[in-house]
Amino acid sequence: MNAPRSFFYFLLLLVLNLGLAGSQARAESIEALRAMPVQDGGRIKPFDTFARESLYLIYGHETFRPEKGGSARPASEIVMTWILQPSAWEETPLFEIRHGEVKKGLRLSEEKKHFSFREIMNSDRLPTLMQELQSHRETKEKLNPYFQALQRLENQLFTFREIAAGRMLRLVPPKTGETWQSLPELDGALQSQFVEISQAFIRVLGTVTGNATAEEKNQTQKILTEKIKNFETSAQAENPVLYAQGSKIQTEIHYYDFHPFRWAWIVYLICALTCLIAWAFEKPSFYRPAWLLGFVGLALHIYGFSLRVYLMGRPPVSNMYETVVWVGFGAVVFSMAIEAVYRWRFILLAGTLAGAFCLMLADMAPVVLDPSLQPLEPVLRSNFWLMIHVMTITISYAAFFLSFVLGNIGLIYFLGGESKNRDKIKAVTLALYRGMQIGVSFLAPGIILGGIWADYSWGRFWGWDPKETWALIVVLGYLAVLHGRLVGMIKDFGMNVAAVMAFSLVIMAWYGVNFVLGAGLHSYGFGAGGVEYVAGFLAVEILFVVFASVVRFGRLKASKENK
Amino acid sequence: MFRRLVRMFSSVKIAVVILLALAAVTAVGTIIEARYDAHAAAKLVYHTPLMYTIMGALAITLIAVMVDRWPWKSRHVPFLLAHVGILVLLLGSVITMEFGVDGTMRFGIGEKNRWVTVPQTDFQIWSSFDGDRYTQLLSQEVDFFSHRPEKVPFSYPLAEGELKVETYEPYVLPAKKVIASSSTRAGSAVRFQIQNSRVNVTDWLVQTRPGAVASNNFGPAQIFLGPAPAKSTLANELYLDPSQKGDDLKYTVFYRDPSRKTLTGRVKEGGSFDTGWMGLQFRIFRYLPKAEESYEFKTMERPTPLTTSAVKISFQGKSHWIQLNDVLKLFTDNAVYLVTYGNRRLDLGFDLSLKKFEVGRYQGTMRASSYQSVVATPDGVETLISMNEPLKHQGYTFYQASFQDGPTGEPTASILSVNKDPGRPLKYLGSLILSLGIIWLFYNRRKSARAQAPRGGTF
Repeated sequence: MNAPRSFFYFLLLLVLNLGLAGSQARAESIEALRAMPVQDGGRIKPFDTFARESLYLIYGHETFRPEKGGSARPASEIVMTWILQPSAWEETPLFEIRHGEVKKGLRLSEEKKHFSFREIMNSDRLPTLMQELQSHRETKEKLNPYFQALQRLENQLFTFREIAAGRMLRLVPPKTGETWQSLPELDGALQSQFVEISQAFIRVLGTVTGNATAEEKNQTQKILTEKIKNFETSAQAENPVLYAQGSKIQTEIHYYDFHPFRWAWIVYLICALTCLIAWAFEKPSFYRPAWLLGFVGLALHIYGFSLRVYLMGRPPVSNMYETVVWVGFGAVVFSMAIEAVYRWRFILLAGTLAGAFCLMLADMAPVVLDPSLQPLEPVLRSNFWLMIHVMTITISYAAFFLSFVLGNIGLIYFLGGESKNRDKIKAVTLALYRGMQIGVSFLAPGIILGGIWADYSWGRFWGWDPKETWALIVVLGYLAVLHGRLVGMIKDFGMNVAAVMAFSLVIMAWYGVNFVLGAGLHSYGFGAGGVEYVAGFLAVEILFVVFASVVRFGRLKASKENK
Repeated sequence: MFRRLVRMFSSVKIAVVILLALAAVTAVGTIIEARYDAHAAAKLVYHTPLMYTIMGALAITLIAVMVDRWPWKSRHVPFLLAHVGILVLLLGSVITMEFGVDGTMRFGIGEKNRWVTVPQTDFQIWSSFDGDRYTQLLSQEVDFFSHRPEKVPFSYPLAEGELKVETYEPYVLPAKKVIASSSTRAGSAVRFQIQNSRVNVTDWLVQTRPGAVASNNFGPAQIFLGPAPAKSTLANELYLDPSQKGDDLKYTVFYRDPSRKTLTGRVKEGGSFDTGWMGLQFRIFRYLPKAEESYEFKTMERPTPLTTSAVKISFQGKSHWIQLNDVLKLFTDNAVYLVTYGNRRLDLGFDLSLKKFEVGRYQGTMRASSYQSVVATPDGVETLISMNEPLKHQGYTFYQASFQDGPTGEPTASILSVNKDPGRPLKYLGSLILSLGIIWLFYNRRKSARAQAPRGGTF
């Protein structure tokens, strides 16, 4: 057996193992309960998603880890017990408070992360803080991080109380109208059916924690499933048309369980590793498997996209999270296209690294990048031009990102020795130049498409809105680089530096406008957080460029003196 | 000479400098917009001589670089397309700036409107000797933001003395206040509180003139300042009558329940009585027999959604504030002057009426999913305007921009953005040419670069 093949099998085994570990945790959760349709946040979602989002808001994680140790419990189970035994939960440290000032303001311990409902409600300072928030809101000024943290706390307390009282759990469609009935609003027959669900659920919980046999576990699970099915049948009878909106629930559960984007970045990383071996250690036999892995990753990526599009019925580029996933996709596709032409190996390496980076970011920073499925703001709904312009502009960011990664590779070569790596530097520089060209030829028309859309929906082709202005600044920056190269103002080293530095313009246009400037018409994509990490990332890149420039300058000077 | 000039401006180095200058200046604009607002960014960056100079230099360079390549060959076509495209776009923008209209109009449901509010501001003075017929003395476009009256004095000589604009404040927070007045034309005012264990409201009631009725509706009950009707209205209503001389008010309380007797009495400042409505206690905090409403302005460093701009004028030794789109009345011994400072309003030339306005919400929430207006043009045609579905009529385009909520959360008014853009065809043409050029350029370079590029293998 040759080296690449055994390496490949090893990876396959690793991946399968990871997958099995995941399904083990899932086997314990209660399928029928998770799949119950709930109306929340303007759409019908599975109880599982509702529970995850609520637990995430209050606790900061999608599973609950008891303080005394023990295994993590799924959100659906935890949220269900809030309804059944709210008083037991009021004493549990459940509420995550991150902001130090808020903790101080409430006179809570600043070392702890989680606090109980009682602890917070008993703080005599809580009404003062909430009053402060309310009066600040009345000024209609932007909320700073302190007030955002207070607002989150208000939201956490409200959500917990409403769920515990059953008022937030809308399980049954109305006979007329659109708002589903919450637990207290249900009629007697449905109420008692829900009580039966609760009793069966408690019995199931008993078997999970106690030492029940597999037989007993199965039996109690079966009873619970039956009770839920009965409840659902009655709920459906109330209004079959509205109930049918829950038809995508199984797909949504699958989307969250399978986590296609997580698999995609794992595969991309392995692909990048394989490329690295094929290229840096000159092992051509690794090249084919690398391509294969790249395609597997891409297929997973596309699969994840398709699920999101199917679930929400719209193109997936309406918030920061979705554009990050989309840019990762673009970087991989563009790198494959350029790689197919030149076959230099490091292009695919750069592309899958970029793709993996984007997907990891999307996967691991839910505070900044909200992965939940949200209905759209009115202005974003059902518009072809809108989606086209956003997709065109963000796909250009993917090409620039690819150039950025290539630029970093190029600078490493420069550091490694300019004359020794002359050929490789030439190749990297040409590849990143291609990336910039692709980027500009998507971005400029993308901005124009944005103008057409703005003209179509607001009657204004160009309004100096910060988001569009920064997209223009990106184009201007890259055009300056391309023109500079044309007349020899910028040579190979300059192009590598430019590929890295000009990407900071993209970061500003893409992330900075929403998260740093936070102004303008494009505010529906706005969020907060992560500024320190992005600034740190930029600082590291700038230091790297400065370091490479200083080293190169020193060498040039030395070689001149030697002459 | 001409050749040398062309040479100079067609230098790519100059082009790169211009591109970077444009990028830097607009970046500053976005920062100003984030710290202040779009208006400040436009006034300080986007619509300034510096910006126009950069744009002009860009246009000259684009022309020069094309002239420099003369005589053109077929390989120049994509290059020419890209550069001509930008020029056409710029020309379209100039036409829009010079001849376009970009404004808004607001109307309540069932109302008509023919006026479009545009961003330009005018300063106007009207005079009247009888208080009925007014003659316009002055109407002048002003831009106090860019030309602060503190630096560029602005005044107008009236018969009784000079009217001078002293200061301009771009961001003020207006707060209504009620002050005692000496004018015989002023009405009365009370500051009252109505309270029980669950309700606690404090508010002002101000009569516009003596004998007028001012009211405050709390839903199940209503409070009036003015003479009470002789007979019970068979509603929960409380009347405070200031018409009799003295430092107290006569109060009359009617009940919805016909079997209950009307309650009357007198109350002084600081005094209180039981209304008999669900244990509600009524208290008078302040009573001004002669009062007028006035605004107090708090100067802010930055704008918020509640701030507006205002100018302070001086006339006959007294200062007065006028906030944007408000009217100031100045009384002298022999004339009344109206002074206005506000956005210009353009006459559409036809009435537009709002027949219906609807907000769609996401199921089970108050989150708006869509909003739409049904408007009628004078020819009787009704059109539905929704997000991304504008109405085109007589050269104007009407877009659904926003709406206003009433106190109960139901929409009460629709706001349309109104627009006329003669530069539009040129912008679209320019966009098309530019896009074609860029894609063609990329394709061409790819072909030529591909011929030189090494392929495959390791290095």
